[in-house]
Amino acid sequence: MAADCCYEVSQIAYVKLVLHALKHPSSAVNGLLLGRLRQDGSTATVEVADAVPLSHAQIGLLPALEIALIQIEEHFEAEGLSVVGYYHANERHNDLELGNAAKKIGDHIFRFFPRAAVLLLDNNKLQKLKTGKGRDPAVQLYTRDSSRSWRQTGSDGSNQLTLKEPAANIVLFDYISSEKWQQIVDFDDHLDDISKDWLNPGLFD
Amino acid sequence: MVGAEEAARLDRLEIQVENGGGGAWEYLCLVRKLKPRRSDKVLKHGLAILNDPKARSNLGGEEWTLYEQVAFAAFDCQQHNVAKVFSLSLPLPLHMCDCVAVLSKEFPGSLRVGRLEGMLLEAENSWAEAEKVYARLLEDNPLDQIIYKRKVAIAKAQGDLKVAVDFLNKYLEIFMSDHDAWRELAEIYVSLQMYKQAAFCYEELLLSQPTVSLYHLAYAEANESQCIEYSGFIILLFLRFLLTAFIEQVLYTMGGLENLLTAKKYYASTITLSGGKNTRALYGICLCSAAISQLTKGRSKEEKESSDLPSLAAEALLRDYKYRAPKKLPLLNSMLKNMKLSS
Repeated sequence: MAADCCYEVSQIAYVKLVLHALKHPSSAVNGLLLGRLRQDGSTATVEVADAVPLSHAQIGLLPALEIALIQIEEHFEAEGLSVVGYYHANERHNDLELGNAAKKIGDHIFRFFPRAAVLLLDNNKLQKLKTGKGRDPAVQLYTRDSSRSWRQTGSDGSNQLTLKEPAANIVLFDYISSEKWQQIVDFDDHLDDISKDWLNPGLFD
Repeated sequence: MVGAEEAARLDRLEIQVENGGGGAWEYLCLVRKLKPRRSDKVLKHGLAILNDPKARSNLGGEEWTLYEQVAFAAFDCQQHNVAKVFSLSLPLPLHMCDCVAVLSKEFPGSLRVGRLEGMLLEAENSWAEAEKVYARLLEDNPLDQIIYKRKVAIAKAQGDLKVAVDFLNKYLEIFMSDHDAWRELAEIYVSLQMYKQAAFCYEELLLSQPTVSLYHLAYAEANESQCIEYSGFIILLFLRFLLTAFIEQVLYTMGGLENLLTAKKYYASTITLSGGKNTRALYGICLCSAAISQLTKGRSKEEKESSDLPSLAAEALLRDYKYRAPKKLPLLNSMLKNMKLSS
């Protein structure tokens, strides 16, 4: 998959994934990215329209992931969206390596969507948000290259990552200050109490 | 593991204290007892008491316990939580050192305070110094469990999971009845996707505490993950794409079938122990049964399992969703129909 491709992350998806990570500061968190592929002539853009937080504990256990994949795919099919990627935030503050569990899940999504994106939360960039100097998204983008490994993009210019709404970081900072992360629900929470909705409707009202 | 009633009481107290309704000391005592990780709140309210001379003298001898509790909370807040650093505009490192300094002055040469000093170094990422402190303490107290665990924590914090596993295994050779340690080891194995080893840890826990449904569930999930791992998400593939190369792989994994059967058994025992209320176990039965029937397709009928368990589990899930999560009912229905567990 050597063709260049842009990745545009919507504010909803971006804010959800950061809030999810902030809600569970002492463990790794992960989730799925939903979106679609848009072809404008020769450029392809993957629009990440939404994110569904998956779990915050025992990420390596697969049964819950399977159930989540089935239900999430089915739900979003009706909206014309499919699983286009995966996000992950590591347990340790300064760990910027894409772990094996994340790579395996990424591999699986790649089988169904070859331009799959894996976003890894970057805590250093997140910290810069406080000073108001952070304009870039606080995540790193990884895509599968032709050698079948996950490579971080940005170093050679191809596969750009952009935030669809430029003010997304400001909105995110607002939510962080108001402790919005306490309200976010992931699939794990749903399995513990099914009345909790992993779609997080009304989170941003 | 905290009971639901106590957890509710803790949440109520927390809201009360946050809104200025008093009860901070009661809240802090409950946190000490139940051990949830609420470091930011503990730090905020604990410091408020400590910085108020009248409130502090009211505590009497318990003052020192509070210093220790606030020190732990401060260590925790400094490391991970970027967002909390946003909202708490306190100079944290100053307070951390203060608490530990106060305690060392009051209890010189104490093991308990010595451990705190070690943890302070850990919180500052001075791993080598921390290890020196712990080594010195271990000389005088060779059977101190907490210090051994700190060594595991240091390895984990540095990202050396293999070293952490090593230390934990050595620890468990001496203190083999430490359930928390077995759980921690199992969780580390799961994060390394070493499901077989994780399952072994859960087996130890099941032997010593056979009525804890959590262990049954975890054991089942570890077994199922082991099967899914090398078969590559069998269910999803079967549901969406009928012809892929993975089918051949799946049909040959006998090991996979055994793991699934074990998983199904322990999901069932989880359901029994939890009175049928455990959603994960009910889902687990459905997934396992669907996978087992795919794996045993084409085999003679005698080898096939026939039981009402999968359809009962499906029914229980549908009932539960109908009352508590009706919006998700159509999704569940369609998933179960695809697995041929409902009509």
